[in-house]
Amino acid sequence: MFGRLVRESFVRNPRRKVLVAAALVVGMAVATSTLTIALEVGDRLAREFRSLGANLLVTPQADTLPIEIGGVDYRPVNEGAYLSETDLGKLKTIFWRHNILGFTPFLDVPATIQQSENSDPILAMIVGTWYAQDVSVPDGTKFKTGLSVTHPWWKVQGRWFHDDANECVIGSALAATMPGVTAGKVIYVTSRSPGDSAQGQPGATQAIALKVVGIVSTDDAEDKALLVPLAIAQKLSGHPGQFRQLFVSALTKPADTFSERDPLKMTPTEYDRWFCSPYISSISFQIKTVLPGTDVRTIRRVADTEGRILSRVGTLLWIVTLAALGAAALAVAATSATTVLERRAEIGVMKALGATNSLIAGIFLAEQLLLAVAGGAIGFVVGAALARSLGASVFGTPASPRLILFPVILGIAAIVAFVGSLIPLRRASHFNPAPILRGE
Amino acid sequence: MFWRLLWKLLRGSSGRLVVAILALVSGAMVISALLNLEFDIERKLTQEFRMLGANLVISPGHDAQINGAAPAALMNESEAFAAIQSLKDPAVVAAAPFLYIVERAGDTPVVVAGTKLEELPELEPAWRIEGQWTTPSRENQIPCIVGRNVVRQLHLALGSTLLLSYLGKTTQATLVGIVDAGGAEDNQVFMGLAEVQRLAGLPGQIGLAQLSVRGTAKNISEYAARLAAALPSYEVRPIRQVTEAEGDLLNRIRLLIGSMVVLILALTALCVLATMAALAMERRQDVGLMKALGGSIARIVALFMAEVGVLGAAGGFVGAILGIELSRWMGQRVFGTAISLRWEIFPLTIALMVAVALAGALPLRLLGKVKPAVIFRGE
Repeated sequence: MFGRLVRESFVRNPRRKVLVAAALVVGMAVATSTLTIALEVGDRLAREFRSLGANLLVTPQADTLPIEIGGVDYRPVNEGAYLSETDLGKLKTIFWRHNILGFTPFLDVPATIQQSENSDPILAMIVGTWYAQDVSVPDGTKFKTGLSVTHPWWKVQGRWFHDDANECVIGSALAATMPGVTAGKVIYVTSRSPGDSAQGQPGATQAIALKVVGIVSTDDAEDKALLVPLAIAQKLSGHPGQFRQLFVSALTKPADTFSERDPLKMTPTEYDRWFCSPYISSISFQIKTVLPGTDVRTIRRVADTEGRILSRVGTLLWIVTLAALGAAALAVAATSATTVLERRAEIGVMKALGATNSLIAGIFLAEQLLLAVAGGAIGFVVGAALARSLGASVFGTPASPRLILFPVILGIAAIVAFVGSLIPLRRASHFNPAPILRGE
Repeated sequence: MFWRLLWKLLRGSSGRLVVAILALVSGAMVISALLNLEFDIERKLTQEFRMLGANLVISPGHDAQINGAAPAALMNESEAFAAIQSLKDPAVVAAAPFLYIVERAGDTPVVVAGTKLEELPELEPAWRIEGQWTTPSRENQIPCIVGRNVVRQLHLALGSTLLLSYLGKTTQATLVGIVDAGGAEDNQVFMGLAEVQRLAGLPGQIGLAQLSVRGTAKNISEYAARLAAALPSYEVRPIRQVTEAEGDLLNRIRLLIGSMVVLILALTALCVLATMAALAMERRQDVGLMKALGGSIARIVALFMAEVGVLGAAGGFVGAILGIELSRWMGQRVFGTAISLRWEIFPLTIALMVAVALAGALPLRLLGKVKPAVIFRGE
């Protein structure tokens, strides 16, 4: 009997159900898409923030003080400590290896540049680095990394050098002082120590011929330098396989009070939680473990900006999601309330025929629940599609639907539909059938 | 007569109206809060991005001599800062001159940056400092802030004295702060510009100036262009790493929040629309009665439209006030500072609510075709 009553209500007057169902579908679609985006946005934005460049800097621990102005180290090549290139693959073996998006070693060498074998030498810094180098990881795989990952804002006119070729890319400011140097030209570089006269006598090493393949603009000190593959800078400096600085770009979780604590003072459970969270402090600790003798520093400006904005946007999105859920609840509640009011005559008849308040409430709630399941399911599908296109337009790649949200959305839909009809049902229980049936 | 009828209508159906007013007020609240947030978010986020530090650099032109450790071409301090002063742009958060020289602390060469110490906390808010940024200057005391690598290398501590020499001239500086920047600054010593100029024998000269300017990438490049026009002999350029990433991220975040706000606006409007439509449909009997008494359809519809419009305006007004309070709270919660109030939210929200309410009442027009007798029979 109960089931028949509910079924009849759907069959006899489907138009009335459409309004509530539509509100449920739209409400749950918005709720699904905002929840999907809010769940995903942390990862997506963190990845976007990597366009700010590296957030960790690795230097030798037992180093002398770098004479570094505007990003170029002016120390002579025979001074200070170096790091070994062979250990770099180990970076991809740490616990958070997948969060290490890239790393680039740097080796600065003071040098002279000649346009031909006999022309006037020009003094300049040579910056040895990788553009896109394959690094052997101990587990047997290869990892491609270099400037292309860590310094995406460096723009080159022409093309970048190949890491294994005798090629170079010239800084735009340096190129401006050397008329005649364009892509395709061959130049000769020699290392020099600061003891040499300003004229730059040919150093101990032999001149290396490099083909200019591009002009780079970095808006930084590298504009005044010559960028060469790391191997060539190592040959010039006489430090094969070594470098001075390593920039690491890692995906991290915004720092909080927990991540700032001293890991040595944590309890074992806290330590495990800290170690297994991609905080910048735990990642730098793990890098330090695989590269002994190094000092891993957080580039504060990048890391702090990222952390602050990520946590703020995260909170903001959760508030907006709450607003979306609130609006969805409102829409469903308002339409359910209207349906109950519209069906006053029906309620009057039922009451006049002796139906109890609880039976009437049961019938209505069962109807609402059915609607909630159907509306919630359709809303979830629509919302997932919406989140997909939203993700695609904002981040370039579509947001993948999260099946875990499906039961959540169904639950929310049921609760909202249920609560939305409770108040009008309470009112309905006070209805006096006689005036309603009179049509008042 | 019109107004009396309107008043009666509004009073008569108080029970049913509650649902509609609730929907209108809460709808208007959500809409105005989100609109306020959306209008202000760019300003808030650009402020947050100032954590990145300087985003504009004034340097001597490209013809600067390129040479190892020797200081490159210099520029005139007063000239550069007069230009910044004359533009008087409130978007400039901080501006500091820099003069770098390599001095010796004992046997160790160390990069010393002469700057305005009091501008540093504004220019580089991300730096962690142990000690103080500046101390009230005492007689015969030159304060300096030292990078943490220098501190470690030279075995210094807060309050210790740093003896620096440059080409025969010496200076004694007191260490007032230790900076942790995670960059080249960790290897540098910062002290008052005048003292470095004296040591280097370069009075009034600086190597470069760094500015932190608030705004979108477009604002910043416009400011850079104006500054460049005022300083034709120098080069003014935005630091691309900062401005480019900032602009890109800002756009994405805005797009994200914006599209979610649009979704919610549509949802809220829909909800109000549905409620108003239901309310209008309940008036069928009144329409029938008025028609039976000889009221013209146009007049009847106008009456109901006015009723619904008043409801929309009132709901919109109350909702907008509540919504602005809500957005204030959200701003406090998210950004730590209240979101500034935008007065255009009021008319916008009210207009939106009236429009939605009127749209909800449109089905009433269809009733014009209905015969009163049919309605009275209760069909």
